[in-house]
This record gives sequence, structure tokens and C-alpha cells, in this order.
Amino acid sequence: MKLVIGGYAQGKLSYVLEKYGLQKDEVWDGILPDHTVSEQKTVVIDHLHHWVKNRILDGGYPEKEIETFLNEFEDCILISDEIGNGIIPLNAFERGYRERVGRILILLAKRAEEVERVICGIGQKIK
Amino acid sequence: MMILVIGGSGSGKSSYAEEAVCSVFEEDMKKYYLATMQVFDEEGQKKIERHRKLRSGKGFLTIEQPRSIGRSLEKMDGGKKTVLLECISNLTANEMFAGERPRLEMQVVENVVSGLRKLKENTTNLVVVSNNIFEDGIVYDQTTMDYIHAMGEINQRLAAMADRVVEVVAGIPVVI
Repeated sequence: MKLVIGGYAQGKLSYVLEKYGLQKDEVWDGILPDHTVSEQKTVVIDHLHHWVKNRILDGGYPEKEIETFLNEFEDCILISDEIGNGIIPLNAFERGYRERVGRILILLAKRAEEVERVICGIGQKIK
Repeated sequence: MMILVIGGSGSGKSSYAEEAVCSVFEEDMKKYYLATMQVFDEEGQKKIERHRKLRSGKGFLTIEQPRSIGRSLEKMDGGKKTVLLECISNLTANEMFAGERPRLEMQVVENVVSGLRKLKENTTNLVVVSNNIFEDGIVYDQTTMDYIHAMGEINQRLAAMADRVVEVVAGIPVVI
């Protein structure tokens, strides 16, 4: 699994598409595919933080679910915004969500074979 | 030796800072943890519990010092010591918003930086945790903007004082 993170509007998706020669219509936007998807193709998930938010709102447990997903799709590319670099939100849900995205990214970074951080469209390999 | 550790919320900066402390710590030293967070609710209490758990068994002596950080030295023994300070964003907020009206940005910056300088001069190793609060792109009210600005200034000054500055990204230390 490869993890690509960075701030909002930093060109993360374009960076991934160009680097791996992929098309935009091959990308899963804020959702995880299920097992009916062919494992032959590289699975790319964009806006993983949106998925985390939706799972929390639906009463899910994204920390566990993403692990289960990865056990099946070992070779995927996950793209997520870094959302923890700001003022602590007043809203309790937003605070919890922000913290959980951070912790999930730590888990994913540990498991990833490669972590890149994209700033101004430029990828920095940090693992 | 002074190390400045910076990172966003949930970046893993605390665990990294504790590892950094353990890497510079030697047997003949005391190990102190300077806690700056004031607890107002259950969420704050939980946060503190989580951090306590992270630290437990690592031999830290905890000093609660929400303001006037230089004065924590009065509560430490003489001799060699390694000090972990967590975190600058709480300390700065406590300094700024302690009174009825917020204190001036420049006063807050001077106060925090001079306290940290004193700590650096009187400790063997100092590890300081600070926060990246600068990248949400939101324009807040003037008081909050003053706070953000004070934090930016403090981080720059501490980075200049430090021997090493490490940004923690998704648990990965990036030396900057």
C-alpha cells in the first residue's frame, strides 16, 4: 500500500495519476470498493478523510474497517488530506474527527511501503 | 541539547517527543515532564489520561506549569536533567487568555520565549513540543489571529534556539 498525504488543493490526485499512469475514472472518491472489484487493477482511493468522516457519522469504526479493507487490497494507493494543521475546532465532532483522521494516518503510514507528502504538486517521499 | 518537535493534531508528535527524550536521556539525570494543559472538561481529562498512559513507566516527574514556564525550574532539583515540555500552544493560550482581557501578542511572545531560554540554559536536554496550527486557511476573529501570529513568532524563535527541529507527519519524523 502507498499513502499519499498533503494539505487541501496541493495536487495530490494529479500527482498520483501522472506518476502511476492512471485515469481519473479509475479512482474511488471517498468510498472503498468491495470485493467484487477486480484485484488486477491498482485501486486508488481519493479523499480518504471523507470516507473516515462518513464512517464516523454512520456509527462505523473506520480504524478497523480500513485494516480489513487493506487485508484484501494490499496494493492500493490511498490519498488523504492532512487536516490536523489548524486551530482546534470549536465543534466537538469536528475535533474528534480531526484527531481520528490523524491517528488513522499514523496507522496507515506504519503499514505503508511508501509515504509521500505532496506540497505545491511536488511529492516528498517521507517513508 | 534542545529539540523542537512540531506537528498537527493527531500527528504523533507526543510519542515521538517521548522517544526523543529517551534517546538523549542518561542514567545520572532526572527526567521531568512539564504539563501546561488546564483541564476544563471530560474531553481534556481524557486527553491527559491518554498522555499519562503514553508516559507511564518511563520515569517522568511531572510538574504542572500552565503559565510562567521559567518558574518550573524552581520545582526541579539541581544537577543534570532532561525536560520534556508539552506543549507550546497550550502555554501560549494560557499566557494570552489568563486575565479578563487577552494580553498583547508581543508580551506573550516575550514571556514564552524568555521562559524557554531560561529552561534551555538550566537543563542538560530540553525537548519542546509545539503545534502546527497554521494551515486551515480560515480567517478567524482578531483575537484568534493574534494568537496564531504569536504562535508563529514563538515557533520561529524556538526553532532558532533549537539544535534540531523535527516535524512529525503521520507519525514519521521529518527533520527540517
